[in-house]
Amino acid sequence: MSFWLELVATGLITGGIYAVVAIGLNLQYGLMRIMNIAHGEFLMLGAYLTWLAATVLKLNPLVFLPVVALVLFLIGLGVYRICFRRISRTAPSVEVIEARSLLVSFGLMFLVQNAAYLAWGADLRGYAFLDVPVEIGGARFTANRLVVFGFAVAASLVLLAVLRFTLVGKAVRAMMQSPTGAQLVGIDTAVLHPVVFGVGLALAGVAGALLSMVYEISPAMGEPYTVTALIVITLGGLGSTVGALVGGLLLGVVEALGMHFTSPSLKMLLSYGVFIAVLLARPKGLFAR
Amino acid sequence: MKPRHALLAVLVGLLAAAPWMLSDFMLSLVLTCLMYAGLTVTWAMFSGATNYLSLATAAFFGIGAYVTAWGFGALPYAVVVPLGGVASAVFAALIGAAVLHLRGAYFAVLTFGLGELVRHAITYFEKSYAHTVGRVIANPPESTSVYLTVLAIAAAAVWASVAVRRSRFGLALAGIGADEERAETLGVNTRRTKIAGFALSAFFAGALGAAMAVRWTYIEPNSVFNPFIGFQTVLIAMVGGAHTLIGPLVSSVVFSVLTEFLRLQFPYLFLTLLGLALILLVLYLPGGLASLWPILRARIAALGARLAALEGEGARG
Repeated sequence: MSFWLELVATGLITGGIYAVVAIGLNLQYGLMRIMNIAHGEFLMLGAYLTWLAATVLKLNPLVFLPVVALVLFLIGLGVYRICFRRISRTAPSVEVIEARSLLVSFGLMFLVQNAAYLAWGADLRGYAFLDVPVEIGGARFTANRLVVFGFAVAASLVLLAVLRFTLVGKAVRAMMQSPTGAQLVGIDTAVLHPVVFGVGLALAGVAGALLSMVYEISPAMGEPYTVTALIVITLGGLGSTVGALVGGLLLGVVEALGMHFTSPSLKMLLSYGVFIAVLLARPKGLFAR
Repeated sequence: MKPRHALLAVLVGLLAAAPWMLSDFMLSLVLTCLMYAGLTVTWAMFSGATNYLSLATAAFFGIGAYVTAWGFGALPYAVVVPLGGVASAVFAALIGAAVLHLRGAYFAVLTFGLGELVRHAITYFEKSYAHTVGRVIANPPESTSVYLTVLAIAAAAVWASVAVRRSRFGLALAGIGADEERAETLGVNTRRTKIAGFALSAFFAGALGAAMAVRWTYIEPNSVFNPFIGFQTVLIAMVGGAHTLIGPLVSSVVFSVLTEFLRLQFPYLFLTLLGLALILLVLYLPGGLASLWPILRARIAALGARLAALEGEGARG
């Protein structure tokens, strides 16, 4: 019994991170058609910021979490202003916006990742944080993993609540349903787009900060999370935040079970198998009606 | 179109003489140029025409390279190279059949992940069944024959993309790029056309991978499935203008020279700047350098007209 609990819980902990990354990416794509391949690079920036705070400033990484979110939010505003505003203004159609923003984020990925290599080198970095074992129901976890899981789920739920219950959230959902209709009733794209892009990056940064508490970090750490987030979005359906949360947790568990019963080096193959199967069978997502 | 064919023939003839005229360093530089020219032209043949952004070049290239890694020795070089192309084309056709109904970002990201997928699959396979990480290529063919093979593939790639452009098949590809539903209404079998185009461009990437693999002597998944190859291909095509033929050819020469000189000395800085270049290019010159040409031509024509007008005035006065 405790064996299954441990396995599923391990999956859920990874899945919580997947969910946070995927929700941010999904918001950006659902609202602005920006498929931000560089999303994982901003996760990596969040991880490095936290690592710097923990090792140089000797700060508690959890206390530093809001700072990471704020910094990444501001970076997001800047990146949107410099890159994506021009694309959405000059492109003749939605498809062109998609293609160009994909290429730009491809460029961003190389830019940010290699800049990180220049700044910090290729070594793995890390710090110890709350790595004490805790026992729950006969299963053993390190405390930092539980903290990470709690914060990941909390971040996702807060965002869900904001989208569902506040006026801003309503505006975002309206824009996803019908951009023209939303503009007709007075929702301001010029404000909403950069803010949502910034929130997406802030979520990526938080995910990176949380990851740095558990794993060692490197400039290349972000890329797999981008790909995984994409798989999660496909599972949950484009634009669906609840779908991204459930899909993220689900993929985490599937990976944990699959890796246990086959081999850890098959992780990527498993995720891709799920991805292609879902795309073939239910291209609109598992939970689409 | 005849003079253009003659020009191509002369160019290929000159390049074929290169091994006996150039130093080893220059020859390897020309080889890199030819490799990227072949990759880019055939990438543009499919992705430039259809607007299906494929990031799978690294996967096709790597598959070709692994065909060499597994087959070379047992089979002669001249068999391994086309075999690498065929293996990539078959892989592309299978994947294409599964995912080419996806448009836009989904397709791009899925193909981006293909390289990773194949890399992990081969790493896993080699570790668990062959118990190796990489493979050594014993007795590689001499550099002249490698060079001539790559030249032949690159020339064939250019020839194929010219031929495709002027054929019904090429028109169908361009029709899909302009408006897929309209193309389908007009009687194009879009599914079959897309799969064939994707497989054809994969064939050349695979053949180039198979031909180039012998130059490395030691082959491992991480080096031949290098995402940089796919990135560079897309970048070169975008810089040159993916809808044209000359644009990608010219920019592949420029980029190969830059890469050869800068990448080894400042690897991270070089890639950072390449990323920046791609961003600036998409933002400010989305049609590539080739889109400057009509503007330039119009300016020259306008200038000529003004000069003629001035001369006319001078004659009257």
